Amino acid sequence: MNSIERRDFLKATATGVLAFTTVGAQALLSARQAYAQNVPFRLLKASDAETIEALGETLVPGARAAGMAHFLDQQLSLPPEEALLEARILNVRPPYVRFYRNAIAAVDNASRALNSGRNFAQLGPSEQHNFVDAMRQNKVQGWQGPGGSFVYLVLRSDAVDVVYGTMEGYEALGIPYMPHIAPDKRW
Amino acid sequence: MATNEKVDVVVVGAGASGSVYAAVLAKQGKKVVVLEQGPDWQLSDLTSSDIWGRRVKPAGGPFILEGKHPVSYGYQAGWGVGGAALHYFANFPRLLPNDFKIKSEHDRAHDWPISYQDVSPYYDKVASDVGVSGDAKAEEIWRPAGEPYPMPPMKTFRNGQVWIKGFEAVGIRMVPAAVGMNSTEYKGRPACIYDGWCHVGCPIGALANPLVTYLGDARKSGAEVRPWSTVTRVLTNPEGTRVTGVEYYVKKGERQVQPASVVVLAAWAAQNPRILFNSATDKHPKGLANSSGLVGKYMMTHFASGTLAIFDEDVENHMGTTGAQYMSYDRYGKTSHKEGFGSSFIVAGFALKTNDLGGIANARLDLFGADLHDFMKRAKRGLTRIGTFGEELPTIENRIELVSDKDEFGMPLAKIIHSYDKDAQAVWNANFEEGLRIAKTTGAKDVWSARGNMPTIHLMGGTIMGTEAGNSVVNSYGQTHEIPNLYVAGPGNFPTSGASNPTYTIFALSLRGAEQLAATWSTIAG
Repeated sequence: MNSIERRDFLKATATGVLAFTTVGAQALLSARQAYAQNVPFRLLKASDAETIEALGETLVPGARAAGMAHFLDQQLSLPPEEALLEARILNVRPPYVRFYRNAIAAVDNASRALNSGRNFAQLGPSEQHNFVDAMRQNKVQGWQGPGGSFVYLVLRSDAVDVVYGTMEGYEALGIPYMPHIAPDKRW
Repeated sequence: MATNEKVDVVVVGAGASGSVYAAVLAKQGKKVVVLEQGPDWQLSDLTSSDIWGRRVKPAGGPFILEGKHPVSYGYQAGWGVGGAALHYFANFPRLLPNDFKIKSEHDRAHDWPISYQDVSPYYDKVASDVGVSGDAKAEEIWRPAGEPYPMPPMKTFRNGQVWIKGFEAVGIRMVPAAVGMNSTEYKGRPACIYDGWCHVGCPIGALANPLVTYLGDARKSGAEVRPWSTVTRVLTNPEGTRVTGVEYYVKKGERQVQPASVVVLAAWAAQNPRILFNSATDKHPKGLANSSGLVGKYMMTHFASGTLAIFDEDVENHMGTTGAQYMSYDRYGKTSHKEGFGSSFIVAGFALKTNDLGGIANARLDLFGADLHDFMKRAKRGLTRIGTFGEELPTIENRIELVSDKDEFGMPLAKIIHSYDKDAQAVWNANFEEGLRIAKTTGAKDVWSARGNMPTIHLMGGTIMGTEAGNSVVNSYGQTHEIPNLYVAGPGNFPTSGASNPTYTIFALSLRGAEQLAATWSTIAG
């Protein structure tokens, strides 16, 4: 651990912000901040992140700017027992990154087959909406990979987490958060 | 391999059932060690967040989930000290007398080897020990009288109150829900502040989780809790007539042995059979306590039929508790629905959060994009729901088996195979239909059923109790029929599931078993 002390790291981990590596050092940022600062991904390829952000934005407006890809990248790089993903309670078997890679591949392979070689992120908004609607109902032609409706459930849950599940998200909706023990103000 | 000093009792699992055994026996002066596979959670770890709350649930788990209705292991199970009772909702309904006599009265499933009257005093003791809020007198329309609860009912909120008119319209009587929460200060623990974060763990101790109740008592009486200790086998003497302790692995992978005079398996309904299977010897080739072949059989869950409604008014859905404000046993008769056999238990009034499985966003799983955002804005103050739990009857095909794949300690994984039968599906559907009838008389703006995949809530069976080894794994105290100093505790011992939340009964049965063990210690421990 370079730029932060371990005790600070643990305290931060317990309260909410996440550790991201930026310019060779670790910093404690929210996923939204990591996205805004264009922090390099640890585990995801750029094309994976592009697909995740496009899916997230289609599922829940605001997911891209809320740092959905950075949230997933950070969580997928942790040991499974430390990960905070809803995949954990949806019975996805670790390592979770395997599920996400298979899901992204399923989405982009199907998208290319159906849309003249274009990945999901390259589709227009209405095309993306229609694709997700078909995926939700297991109706994407030629789909190969984890079940489409399950991919929808997991990715939608991630998008809901980063947009509506944070203290910022509650505030934006106008719902009192009322914590016993507050996570970090952003999480 | 390290062999530890012999103790009187080793308890495998630091959840609801294990904590009771640890407390009772430690208070009796017994040397008790509790082995728990996960972290040693503290109240201060229980962050108010659905995202962070996932830390107290298992990551993957050693189970492969199969069948038409796979068990929702990740959401239901616990991981770490406190077990699933660290994040349970603390609804404290009881089983009713009819649950104990289904075979006698309907020629279905099994009778329990005990009656409601055998368990009833322990419900009352648990209520006094951990603190229960409710109106016992009001419940007497459905059950025999017992002691009053030590605290008055919890506060109610509009998200519960708005349903009362609908229940009255269809003739369903609702009473204050019995909950393991403090409506007033109790035994030095504060009263609930109704912020609705119960399901990720209550860090103020207003909710009766093991850390602030039995496990806390056990520790004060000298019990040692060892986190990050994964038990893989129960060990026996060469003759196979007595258990001698357990084998376990610490986090860094080192194998250890904990000798003990008595072993209590309290690792939940899924893990107890897995350990018993993996403890097979030449004297017990099918696994310990399994000469009948019934270990791992008769796994049961509850299903729920949720009905949602959006009201024009602010129903304060951010306030309250995750558990219920109102409950009813008016559909608890086994033949209440002509469409299918089995009890139903009705609850109403819950705090809602935005995300996670039970969150506002999942109230309409079909919506996404702008449609979802519009829904969130409409639902944020007006959404509320009711739920009806249904009873699944035990079938031997719903089971746990070991598979060839192994975990990091070389212990075989297991698969849980689970499918609902026609009765369950019929009762599930009937409860949806009744839920809609109720909702439509409330004056709500929109009402709908929360249909989706048939849910699997709670987990019971796998080490069922009965009168003898030919029909069960343990007796009514949790003592295995075949090995007198091996006990099994928890919901796995239920021979039928009832329809009400199981944890109050888990506490009560564990207290009954632990007190019997303490009272007959010299006979059992040798």
